[in-house]
Amino acid sequence: MLKVKKGDIDKMGLLYERYHRQLYRFLFNMTRQKELSEDMVQNIFLRMLKYPEGFIGFGEFKMWMYHIARNSVYDHFRKVKRSPVHSDVKDYTERIEGEELTDASIEKEQELKILEAAIDKLSDENRELLILCRFQELKYNEIAKILNTTEGAIKVRVHRALNQLKSNYLKIDN
Amino acid sequence: MECKDCRQQFASLLTGDVNQSQRSLIESHLASCPGCKAEFDAAEKVWDLMGEIRQSEPSEAMRINFDAMLKNYKESLISTRNPFDEWMARIREYWFMQAKPGLAFSLLLVVLGLIGGYILHQPGQKVTSYNRQIDSLSSQVSELKQVMLLSLLQDPSASQRIRAVSYTDEITNVNNKVIDALFATLNEDPNVNVRLSTLEALVKLSGDPGVREGLVRSIDLQDSPIMQSAIADVMVKLQEKRSVTSLQKLLSKKGLNKMVKLNIEKSIQKLI
Repeated sequence: MLKVKKGDIDKMGLLYERYHRQLYRFLFNMTRQKELSEDMVQNIFLRMLKYPEGFIGFGEFKMWMYHIARNSVYDHFRKVKRSPVHSDVKDYTERIEGEELTDASIEKEQELKILEAAIDKLSDENRELLILCRFQELKYNEIAKILNTTEGAIKVRVHRALNQLKSNYLKIDN
Repeated sequence: MECKDCRQQFASLLTGDVNQSQRSLIESHLASCPGCKAEFDAAEKVWDLMGEIRQSEPSEAMRINFDAMLKNYKESLISTRNPFDEWMARIREYWFMQAKPGLAFSLLLVVLGLIGGYILHQPGQKVTSYNRQIDSLSSQVSELKQVMLLSLLQDPSASQRIRAVSYTDEITNVNNKVIDALFATLNEDPNVNVRLSTLEALVKLSGDPGVREGLVRSIDLQDSPIMQSAIADVMVKLQEKRSVTSLQKLLSKKGLNKMVKLNIEKSIQKLI
């Protein structure tokens, strides 16, 4: 990224190659909208190109990227006035297709649907935390850096978020 | 380990954010506590299930769009970069690099100049000696003028005597000798014009109380109507109250000009 800052714009292609999938997943898990997430990835990379001065050199590129991504997501939420999470139906159908419809798979599919509903019921903050540590597979210290807090605080918050998810899941399951 | 402490560690255990000793502590507690074990199993189930949620993949188009955007951005950068600006920047950079040693050298020269000037000048010594010389010269000139004034006052020509009187303006320190000579001229000079100009010169010196007294005294001695009138005016101008008796004495003189009489009467009124 330092090279991009100095004007070597082609290096941004490398960074894109390395991080775009990760970034897309984060955005998709947060917004549940495929097209919107893809647009956001594009905008985030364009923003990093245009305002490289935001990257202060030390610290990782990844952390900076998540900072911007979070800002974009929360900007979007503010814009749409926090309408309930609207999932792309197409994405579910994609998933079901091509799978053998055995009893076990139907049951699994049922469980996954319940889980997704349970995730959707979480607050934005809790959902974000679980996305970061489960889907993005970030360590507590990395999440702490992104959210500008301490590792201890993240530990407590992840614990609470997971508890919440568990109780949501059990509630829907029953 | 307490159940409460153990349950707080579930998330960390699942994410792998625990060290080896903590892990073995938790695991031994789970083995002995069925309540916590059930809790953990439920959490683990949800956790594992989350892992099975299939993650959405970005479309192929995204990569193509990104490449296009990068290309566009690069082109926009090139087009916004004005060649003139670039040249200016280059020249500025070159000049700045050149200017650094040059600037330092010129500053050094200025400082050296200041020091040299200070040493050569030695302030306070020469200046005072120059000033002293000028002072002595100007006092010499003034003395010379004084001598000239005194000698010219004796000149038979009236115009020369008027010139002599005019020198009083140029003499800085008028001493008693000059004042006496001027009064002698005022009271005794045969020419009215000379006396008038002497009167004017003496009025300028009226800051001296001796001069004022002399002027009051000379009222009696004037016999020309012009001089009588002029001196009465001067008395009004100087607001010299002591002159009233002299002026009244002048009024009682025989053969006084009518106009002068009127003028003096007015002056007396103004003074009283």
